[in-house]
Amino acid sequence: MRNLRVKDARLAAVLAQEECLLFDGAMGTQLQARGLAAGELPELLCLTDPDGIRAIHGAYVAAGADAVTTNTFGANAAKLGDAATVEQVFSAAIACAKASGAAYVAADIGPTGQLLAPLGTCSFDEAYTLFAEQVRAADAAGADLLIIETMADLAEAKAAVLAAKENSDLPIFCTMTFAEDGRTFLGTTPEVAAITLSALGVDALGINCSLGPAALVPLAKRMIPYADCPVMVQANAGLPRVEDGATAYDIGPDAYVAAVAEMVDAGVTIIGGCCGTDPAYTAAERRLLCDRGRDGGTGRLSRFDSVTSDLSPRHARHAGDVFTVTSAQSHVALAPGSVGVIGERINPTGKKRLKEALRAGELDYVMGEAIKQAEAGAQILDVNAGLPEIDERRTMLRLCTELSGVTTLPLQIDSADPAVIEAAVRSYPGKALINSCNGKREVLDAVLPLAAHYGCAVVGLTLDEQGIPQDAQGRLAIARRIVGAAEKLGIPRCDIAIDCLTMAASTDQSAPRAILDGIALVKRDLPGVRTVLGVSNISFGLPFRPLVNATFLAAAFAAGLDLAIINPLDPRMMDVVNSWRVLSGEDASAQEFVAEYANRPDAAAVAAPESSPSIRVAENAAAGYPAHEDQTIEQRIHAAILSGRKDPVPQQVEELLENGSDTLSVINEVLIPALDEVGERFERGAFFLPQLMASAEAAKAGFEVLRARGGSAPVPADKGKIVLCTVRGDIHDIGKNIVRMLLENYGFDVIDLGRDVDPQAVVDAVLAHDARLVGLSALMTTTVAGMADTIRLLRKQAPAAKVMVGGAVLNPEYAQMVGADYYAKDATESAKIAREILG
Amino acid sequence: MPIESYSLSSLPRRAVLRYLGYRGQEIASEIDARIDRFVARVLELAHPRSSWAVFDVAGRSARDDGTSETHLAGTALTLMGSSIATHMDGAVACAVMAVTVGMDVERELKRLSATDSVASVIFDAAASVAVEEAAAACQKSIIAEAAARGLHANARFSPGYGDLPLAVQPVLLASVDAQRRLGIALTDTLLMVPTKSITAVMGIFETSRAARRSELMSGSLA
Repeated sequence: MRNLRVKDARLAAVLAQEECLLFDGAMGTQLQARGLAAGELPELLCLTDPDGIRAIHGAYVAAGADAVTTNTFGANAAKLGDAATVEQVFSAAIACAKASGAAYVAADIGPTGQLLAPLGTCSFDEAYTLFAEQVRAADAAGADLLIIETMADLAEAKAAVLAAKENSDLPIFCTMTFAEDGRTFLGTTPEVAAITLSALGVDALGINCSLGPAALVPLAKRMIPYADCPVMVQANAGLPRVEDGATAYDIGPDAYVAAVAEMVDAGVTIIGGCCGTDPAYTAAERRLLCDRGRDGGTGRLSRFDSVTSDLSPRHARHAGDVFTVTSAQSHVALAPGSVGVIGERINPTGKKRLKEALRAGELDYVMGEAIKQAEAGAQILDVNAGLPEIDERRTMLRLCTELSGVTTLPLQIDSADPAVIEAAVRSYPGKALINSCNGKREVLDAVLPLAAHYGCAVVGLTLDEQGIPQDAQGRLAIARRIVGAAEKLGIPRCDIAIDCLTMAASTDQSAPRAILDGIALVKRDLPGVRTVLGVSNISFGLPFRPLVNATFLAAAFAAGLDLAIINPLDPRMMDVVNSWRVLSGEDASAQEFVAEYANRPDAAAVAAPESSPSIRVAENAAAGYPAHEDQTIEQRIHAAILSGRKDPVPQQVEELLENGSDTLSVINEVLIPALDEVGERFERGAFFLPQLMASAEAAKAGFEVLRARGGSAPVPADKGKIVLCTVRGDIHDIGKNIVRMLLENYGFDVIDLGRDVDPQAVVDAVLAHDARLVGLSALMTTTVAGMADTIRLLRKQAPAAKVMVGGAVLNPEYAQMVGADYYAKDATESAKIAREILG
Repeated sequence: MPIESYSLSSLPRRAVLRYLGYRGQEIASEIDARIDRFVARVLELAHPRSSWAVFDVAGRSARDDGTSETHLAGTALTLMGSSIATHMDGAVACAVMAVTVGMDVERELKRLSATDSVASVIFDAAASVAVEEAAAACQKSIIAEAAARGLHANARFSPGYGDLPLAVQPVLLASVDAQRRLGIALTDTLLMVPTKSITAVMGIFETSRAARRSELMSGSLA
C-alpha cells in the first residue's frame, strides 16, 4: 500500500470522502477568449505569458475554487518537441498556479496524443516514459496532487497512473472522458473505469470533459458503487455551436449547477468544470456546496455528514463483496452466489494444434479460439504461453495485445513465471486475474505484490513446499496462509480465488471428495474469498470424459465453486453451468435458460453453435452452382469452392478421405483444380474480389482438414515466398489484399507485413524468409517516397530480391523512378510477374 | 467550432461494391448476403461525428524554396503547396474539418482481419463508404454555414492530395481539437487512428463557382 504525501488535514478529509472539494473550470476556453490561436501549444504560454495564466487561475480562486489545475494538459516531451522541456513548462505552470493563492495546486496530465497498440502504434512503455517525466517534473516543482484527465484509453490511463505511483507519493486523481453512448471513444464503460482505477489504487476517480453535466449524472451513478475512493466530475458547459461566427456553449451556470447538485446528492464529492465553463460556473458551484452544507472552507461539514454514513452507496463495494475483473471494454462482476466461466482453450498443455500455432507464431488460430469461446459463453479467458521452446514472455505479451483487439473478455494471465506475469499485467488494459500463486513462501513473496501493485485479482493454489495436501483441512490451511498474506498487502478477499486443485479420480477415488470438501471449507471459514477450479483433470484415464467432467462440475457448484475453468465449446459443460444458474437462483425466473433451451430436443446432443444461420439459408441458392443430390463428392466440393461456401467443405473432404482418397489426390484432383478455375474466373472478370476470397476461404477449410489428418501440413504446391506490404506512411491496403489473395490462390507463400510498414521491417522479412520477390503498394502521392526508401534499403541489404510495385498513383514511369524492377498495373499482372520470377 | 454527430440509416450499395472492385459481375447470393450483413454491422458500430471550424484567410506568401503558403487567422495551421494554393485561390476563408466513424468500427476491422478475411474486406469497404457519407454530411453543414454568411464553399481537399503534405495533420487536427472531441490520434507516421477518419479543408468564397468561372472566362477574353 502506498504512503501518501497529503498536503493538509483538509485534503486528507477529502480523500476520506468526509469533505467536498471544488476544482476550477476550463483553461483552454479562457485562453481562446484571450486570443490563443487554434492548434497552438497552450502550455507554452506558461513561459511566454505567465501573467495571463496567473490571471486565469486567480479568477477561479476568487470565484471560490479550492484547487486550480496547471496549464500543462499537453506538456509532454512528444507534444512539446523542441519548443520547451517538460521541466521548464511544469515549473513555470506550477509557479503560476501557486501565485493564485489556491489552497491546492493540481498538476495536470492529459493524454500523450498518440494511440497505444494494438489499435495505435505507441507502446505502453513509451507512454509510461512520457508520463513519468511529467510526474517527476510536477513533483519537483511542488504540486500538491496529480490530476490525470480526459483519458479515453484505459491502457493509457493505466500507464499514467503507474508512472504517478512509481515516481511520486502525491495523491493521484484520474478522470476519463465519455461520449454520448456512455463509453469512452475506446469503449471503456464507467464501471470498467471505476473498477480498474480503484484496483490500481488511485485516490480519486471520475469523469471530465465529455458532455454537459446532466448527461454525466447517470454515468457518475454507475461509477459510484465500484469506486473505493472519492468520485469526481468536471463536465463541459454542454455542446459547442457556432453563434455569430464564434463558439458558444449551450448550458449556463444555473442549469449546470442544477445537474451538479444531483451528482453531489448521489455521492460525488469532488466537482469543477471543463470545456466552456468559466469563473461564473465555479462561483455557482461554490454556492451549491455552501447550500448543501458541504462547504469545507466554512467548517460546517462534520465527519458525520449524512453522505459518509454507512448507508452511502460508496460503501456498497465492500459490503456487496463483488468479485470483479475487467478488460478495457467490459467487466465481470460476480456477486456472491453467482458462478463464472473461464475458458481454458488458450493453454497449450495437451493441445497439439495450439502448440503448433504458438510455435509458428500463427496467432489467427489463437484468436479464433478466443472468439469461439466468447460466443459459447466464456466470461474470462485463460491465457497461457508456457511452451519450453518458445519465448514465453514475448508470446504472452503478444497474445494479450492481439486478444484485446478481437475480444472484450477480461483475461486470466496464466504462468508459472512471475516475470512473465508482471510483464503481462503491467500493460494489460484492465484488471486482470493472475493464475497463479500458491502456498510456497517464495511464490507468495513474488506474485502477491504484483497483484497488489498492478491492481489484479489473483488465483491461489492449495499447494506448498510439501505438495498438494491429501485432505480438505490441509487445503484450507494453505488457503488461509495465502489469504492472510494477500490481505497484508491490501488485496481484498473478494479479489482472491482459491483453487483446491483437481486430481484424477482414476488414480485416487478419494480425491474428488477431498476437493469438494476443500471448496466447502474455504467458503465457510474464509468468508468473502472465492473458489476456482479447473475441472477437466478429474476424468483423466476414464472413458467418456465429458460426462465425468460435467457430473463433477455440478457437484463442485453445489459445494460452493464460484469460477469454473472449463472448455466452453463442450456443450455438455455449458449445459451444467446454465442449468446450475437456474437451480441456484442466479438466472432469475429461469429466463435465460428458457430462452436458450425451450426448443432444444436434448441439450447434450446439440452441437456447439455454428457461425451463422444466414449462411446455411444461402447454401443451396448460390448463383449458378447448385449442389445436386446426384453429384459426386468431388463435384460438390468443387461447387462449394466456386460459390464460396466454406461450411460444407470440411465434412465433404472427410467423406472423401473415408471413401479411401489420399491426401495428395484430394489436393491435386479436387482443391487445386477448383482454385485454378476461381483464379481464371477472376482474371477474366467473371468474379469480383469478395467472391475470389470466399472461394479461397472455402478451399482453405478443406486444406485444414487434411492438415489435421496428416499431421504435418500438406501445403498446395509451394512455389516460393513473396513479401508483400503497403509502404510506410500509407494505410490503404484493399489493393494489396487483392494481390495477396490472388498470389495465394496460385500457390505462392505470401508473407503479408500489413500496412504502414517500415523499410527495415521489409528487408528483415525478405532476409528471414529468403524471399525472391517483394511487392510494394502505395496509394498516395505523398507515400511514393516511402516506396523509394524501401527499395533503396532492399538494394543495399537484400540485393537478390526483385521488387514489383503497384497502387493507384503509380504508372510505369513512376515505378522506374522509384527503382522498381516491375510495375504491376493490377492483381492479375502481379501474378504473372510472380510466375515469371518464381516459376 | 461545432461538434456534430450524424445518424446513418443506410449506405449506398453501389459505392460499397465499387470499393470491392465490382464491375458488373454476377454476385453469388452467398456474397450478396454477406455484403448486406456487414453493411448492417458497419451501420450498427459507426458513430459518425465531426468537429469543424472556419478561419479567415490571412494572406499568402512563398517560402525561399518557392513553396506557396496560405495563412489562416486564429489558427496555427498553414497550408503548404501549389495544389492547395490553387484550390484556395481567391478564398476569403477556409473551413477545417475532421470526421470519423469511431473506434468501434476500427476494432471490428481489426477483429475481422484476424479472423475472417472475406468479411474484413467487405466491412472495410462499407466502413470507407460510411466515413465518406459522414464527410459529405459535414460538408453540407459547412456549405450551409457559408451560405448563412452569403458565401460559397468549394470541394474538400485532404492532406496527401497533390503536394499538401501529411505533415499538416498534427496542427490541422489540433485546430479542431479532434483528439479530445473525436478521439482521433496520429501514428508517428502521421496516419489517423481510427483509420476510417477524414480530415480536409474547404475554400470559402464570396462568389459561387459558376460566377468565378465566368469571371475567369471574361478575364481571359479581355
